[in-house]
Amino acid sequence: MVCWDPRIEAMPKEELKRMQYKLLKSLVYRLYSFSPFYHDRMKEQKVHPDDIRELADVHKLPFMFKRDLRDNYPDKIFTATQDELVRYHVSSGTTGKPTVVGYTQNDLHTWTTSLARGLTSVGLGRGDVIQVSYGYGLFTGGLGMHYGAERIGATVLPTSVGNTERQIELMQDLGATAIACTPSYLLHIGEVAAKMGVDIKKDTNLRTGILGAEPWTEGMRNRIQDWLGIRAYDIYGTSELSGPMFTECSEQKGFHIWSDIALVEIIDPKTGETLEPGEKGELTITILQKEALPMIRYRIGDITSMEEDTCSCGRTHPRIQRIQGRVDDMLIIRGINVFPSQIEFALMAIPEVGEHFQIVVERKGALDDMLVRVELNKESFSDKINDIMKVRQKVEHRLRNSLNVNVDVELVEPGSLPRFEGKSKKVIDKRAM
Amino acid sequence: MYWDKKIETLKPDELQALQLKRLKKTISQAKKVGFFNKRLSDAGITSSSIKTLDDIRKIPFTKKQDLRDGYPFGLFAVPLKDIVRIHTTSGTTGKPTVVGYTKKDLDVWADLIARNMTMIGVGKEDIFQNMVNYGMFTGGLGFHYGAEKIGMTVIPSATGNTKRQIEMIRDFGVTTIHCTPSYAMHLSEVAEEMGESLDSLKTGIFGAEPWSESVRHTLEKRLGVTAYDSYGLSELFGPGVAFECVERDGLHIWHDSYLVEIIDPNTGERVSDGERGELVVTPLVKEAMPLLRYRTGDVTMLMEDGCLCKRGQKIARITGRSDDMLVIRGINVFPSQIEHVLLKIPEVGNQFMVYIDRINHLDEMTVEVEINRDSFSGELADLAKIQKKVGKELRDSLELRTTVRLVEPGSLPRFEGKAKRVIDRREAI
Repeated sequence: MVCWDPRIEAMPKEELKRMQYKLLKSLVYRLYSFSPFYHDRMKEQKVHPDDIRELADVHKLPFMFKRDLRDNYPDKIFTATQDELVRYHVSSGTTGKPTVVGYTQNDLHTWTTSLARGLTSVGLGRGDVIQVSYGYGLFTGGLGMHYGAERIGATVLPTSVGNTERQIELMQDLGATAIACTPSYLLHIGEVAAKMGVDIKKDTNLRTGILGAEPWTEGMRNRIQDWLGIRAYDIYGTSELSGPMFTECSEQKGFHIWSDIALVEIIDPKTGETLEPGEKGELTITILQKEALPMIRYRIGDITSMEEDTCSCGRTHPRIQRIQGRVDDMLIIRGINVFPSQIEFALMAIPEVGEHFQIVVERKGALDDMLVRVELNKESFSDKINDIMKVRQKVEHRLRNSLNVNVDVELVEPGSLPRFEGKSKKVIDKRAM
Repeated sequence: MYWDKKIETLKPDELQALQLKRLKKTISQAKKVGFFNKRLSDAGITSSSIKTLDDIRKIPFTKKQDLRDGYPFGLFAVPLKDIVRIHTTSGTTGKPTVVGYTKKDLDVWADLIARNMTMIGVGKEDIFQNMVNYGMFTGGLGFHYGAEKIGMTVIPSATGNTKRQIEMIRDFGVTTIHCTPSYAMHLSEVAEEMGESLDSLKTGIFGAEPWSESVRHTLEKRLGVTAYDSYGLSELFGPGVAFECVERDGLHIWHDSYLVEIIDPNTGERVSDGERGELVVTPLVKEAMPLLRYRTGDVTMLMEDGCLCKRGQKIARITGRSDDMLVIRGINVFPSQIEHVLLKIPEVGNQFMVYIDRINHLDEMTVEVEINRDSFSGELADLAKIQKKVGKELRDSLELRTTVRLVEPGSLPRFEGKAKRVIDRREAI
């Protein structure tokens, strides 16, 4: 087993748990003393840091939710000063206000270390050429993978997203051995390559894919591996946890969650009760080492289960299984989180648009495609093509700006979309894996 | 404020000794590259040929085309496993120019940017919104690493979505921005429309295209910043090569890292200080991809007067190009590249014109294409397809956004002599 950090990665479980307890204890004391947000939360829950006497006492602590971040926009929960902060990442929000994540130098270091361990565990290292085809910028995928790949001494090709033909040329000419992107983008790359007469299996050095930012299945993995002749590994993370954080190892049996970095629990989303290993529930994470934006029992909303036995790779840290779905109704379109309520929010700000709309998500070729059918209001309905085109462009532009993803818009006559007496079904998700 | 006071204020004799030492090292590094090894031996240059800094004149110039010819790794002086980063810029004939970096190169590069940023008085208390492209373009990651090194809070906002950029400046209390001067003009107008005064802004760093003093005054007034000019190019790492200090009268080029010559582009002879010519640079600290006497194509001069800040000799702000390269939205592109892309498209054929305009302070490119009767079936969908295809080809090859207009056959100008199909209609900014 080649490890980035052998001492930690194969540490006996008991020792890991002792370490986690120590880290948890000091985290709780620190936040109780210095974070008004966590202080109040703990008071409300009637829990004092002294009540945390063993690791299992973590369940006494209050949960934290995505809405807590939004309610405290932009930086009210941060526990670092401006001169300690070195980075902000921003993800688009439900009601116009985005989620902001701050990082100290140590936070970037922890994040990068987590990825360096993961990339090493799938056999990547110095001598590899890693093409990072996640978007660079405010999205954590690009810069996160970039720093991780740089840490392990690989050659980083920061291609970012888009311009697929050029991506393929560079992959070929510069001899990329690994690619990091969403699984759907890799499928698209495969299709475009085929059109260009490039057989990724034969004509490139590509042998590893680090694929994430959207849920995918074993079935998809098998197809990708067979078709492109690579080993495809899943990677897990969200911007609140820093970004892409945890990967599968070469065994492909779930994500290793580094115990010195994070404490995971699987809970029943309805009762909040902790579930046993192997039971399916909502993933809840406490990041043990995070300075700028600490996370205690953060309810990510992803459904999975946890395994605590030692992995056949020899690593002792627990693993979580592939994400099976979302607790809420969030859609993931090409790796970008989109809430139907965000779409509604954007549409309702456009005067020409009526009250009714419908979201149709489907997979066109390899990519997620979102169509929003929008009813015009009676006043704006016109049979002049130019007027309609103008409104359509406006709606597409607004949606793209607030969602950060391209959306097709179809304008329809007032009254033509289905009406509901009870709960409406605004989202039609036709994607089948 | 200095990042590295000793090196930034070296006395001339110490500086020259350091330059000579580093030049010799650079030449031996360059000899590991087949291309340079041959160049040097063809020119009869041995290790004993370079005794003084002036002896550099014996070495032949390196041109952009030499880099292109070496695609992809022909100019690397270290094995690929020692390369930790690759950047590329778009090329003339489809193949890009590749630039490689070792770990040490990245450190040195970030250090140069750290010098620049510290020189203008920004630091760890500042919040920095980096509004240029990330990814293969060196402007984004270059400034990102430098700003992170001095402990600024970096918002890697990249380009686009101006409204959101303005909201972030407002909501996060951004003090320092980096973008192209034309994007800054656009930003200031959108902010005005939104009624945002952007009071937190103090410092604007503008680069990637030449800009004038009058633009500086406008930007300073509209954005409430002190505006600084930044100069660099990917072949010399990226941004960070030269930068204005608080005096804002010329750019400090880091002489310990870049050996500067100004030449007459036609004769290749050196011109005197205070005379304009083409900037030729020999980077003295590059490991992965050493270059000797690289012709930047940028026109400037070495300034005669010293600087109040006590740093070394300055170069004047870039006033133009010694060749026909265009800078469109911060992207460097030669007319021949645009023509090459268009000529490959069968529906376009020989009948096209390209216009570059500045509309609302942003560069806009318009391509006019004559419809080829043979390829036009009469279906409107065909026209839309041609428009889309032309736009996509230009975007994919050159990263340029274009408006495509289809025109009647025979309506575009015909040329008898040398065709000039790419017309730059922008006024100098």
